[in-house]
Amino acid sequence: MSLVNLSHVCSHLNNATKARLGFTSIPNSNLHLKLCLALQNDGFISSVVRGGPTPPAMHSLLGYPTTNDETQGLEPMTQTNVASRRLWLGLKYWQSQPVLSKISMVSKPTRRITIDVAGLSEVIRGDRSSYVEGLRSPGESLYLSTDHGIMEARECVEKKIGGLVLCRVL
Amino acid sequence: MSFARPARCLICRFSRAAPTTGPRVPRRQFHLTPTQLDKKDYTLHEISRSMKPEDFKSYTEKEKARLKQQYTPEQLAAIEAGEAAIDPKDLADQFAIRQDPMKLQYLDDFSTIEPGVDKHIRAPESNSDYNATLKTEEDFIDDFARFFAEMPEDATISDWVRFAESTRMTQGKEENELNPNSSLVPDLFQPGETLEGRTSEPPKYFDDGESKARKDMEPDEALKTLMKVTGYSAQEVMRLKARTLVSHAVVNQTRLGKVRSAYVLAVAGNGDGLMGIGEGKSQEAGDARIQATYRAIRNMQPIPRYENRTIFGDVRGKSGAVELKLMSRPPGFGLRCQSLIFEMCRAAGIDDLAARVERSRNPMNTVKAAYQAIMSQRNPEDVARARGKKLVDVRKVYYSGRSDARRF
Repeated sequence: MSLVNLSHVCSHLNNATKARLGFTSIPNSNLHLKLCLALQNDGFISSVVRGGPTPPAMHSLLGYPTTNDETQGLEPMTQTNVASRRLWLGLKYWQSQPVLSKISMVSKPTRRITIDVAGLSEVIRGDRSSYVEGLRSPGESLYLSTDHGIMEARECVEKKIGGLVLCRVL
Repeated sequence: MSFARPARCLICRFSRAAPTTGPRVPRRQFHLTPTQLDKKDYTLHEISRSMKPEDFKSYTEKEKARLKQQYTPEQLAAIEAGEAAIDPKDLADQFAIRQDPMKLQYLDDFSTIEPGVDKHIRAPESNSDYNATLKTEEDFIDDFARFFAEMPEDATISDWVRFAESTRMTQGKEENELNPNSSLVPDLFQPGETLEGRTSEPPKYFDDGESKARKDMEPDEALKTLMKVTGYSAQEVMRLKARTLVSHAVVNQTRLGKVRSAYVLAVAGNGDGLMGIGEGKSQEAGDARIQATYRAIRNMQPIPRYENRTIFGDVRGKSGAVELKLMSRPPGFGLRCQSLIFEMCRAAGIDDLAARVERSRNPMNTVKAAYQAIMSQRNPEDVARARGKKLVDVRKVYYSGRSDARRF
């Protein structure tokens, strides 16, 4: 679980949304995939598809690649091509503004920050808890790596689980 | 406090078994305040009656002469008869100038009704007539016909005035129209009455600044243009909250020399969700101020406000070297920020806010950065829409779906 690579992903996503790219790719890893799926679940990104060095084919109707595209088909991941796999993300924009406008790491590669439920409940109420600033802007989200996978802070409080704070998304 | 004897046990007070040998000490010896020896509660029967029958003397000749100037002989005879009817002994018995602590602090004859102090005089409820109706046109025609029929030969204008004033407008009980029963509290002052006394001036009512606007009507060209552009009337422009925030002299260096002019930055708002800032520059400071104020009014824009009191989340603004942060706060927090941002919030109608101005604190750039920050708020509805989510305001649902969002 390399936070160095995750930091690079965060920086890359920031750069990509500032450049108003519609489509970008990040290195493939289970952590990146889980985080991207969480982001997609919350509506920050439109699609997450594992592909090769070249972007996967677009869905004929939707306009972005999907995993269950029957006409185009996806190249399955095998032991021989696993090293060249990348995650292709569809970025979203609304009223000329990126939906994922800022993503920044909370834990750093050299300092991992964990938080418990008590601290997390303060954070989602907008208060600071130890090293984690409160979620004070509308729509601000915090993603944690927990025993039950990568989850948003509010979901963690609902399920009463703490974990490693990964990144903050606005 | 007496230290002559040692303090006694509190419980000893209840066990009086062994009689004390020494002199009895008053119980209050632990108290610092001296005992009030003459502590007396006055009752109604103890009001001093120091008057004697001799104090009530009949009028002397001199007093009678003075009364004669004031009263007619009949009135004087009535006064004297009244005086003679009362025994001075009874007067001394029943009349007293009170000296006790509960005495009234003023002398009053209680013969007049003081509105606000005394009980209101109301017309009796029997004056009401619930079946009274307004007269129809036919009824008025009948009234006119009767007036013309009974009109004397040499009718004057005063006959007509008398008829017009005495004609009733309703059918039913006469008292219901002329002196109706009302549960409303009567006015403190009757028409023509003031604190100073009676005046012939018409009563002044609160007119929301319209008379003032009417007085200096004749709007100048700038105001006329503003009214044309914004669609506001002169009264509405006057009602807006406008403040000069920054004003200083600026200099333009030309080959002919330095040209000085005044720079003004003003904020304007309606105190309920509209706010704008405007800059003005002119040779005269007054012109610059008017220019800035009117530009601010023209620039007024709707400000996103959460619950009409604070901002949506924390926002940052930057102008020049001024960087600032505006933070939303709970109800009742107030405006804990510096004066310039305070004035802007007052104009916009934001009540709860905290602000932090970082790096430089240049006033002009502070105002611009604060405006930029306020306008850069993210609307939760838009955020939800962008993410493909549905936003439900739980609080609005709680209050039976009622929305108190005002229209601009």
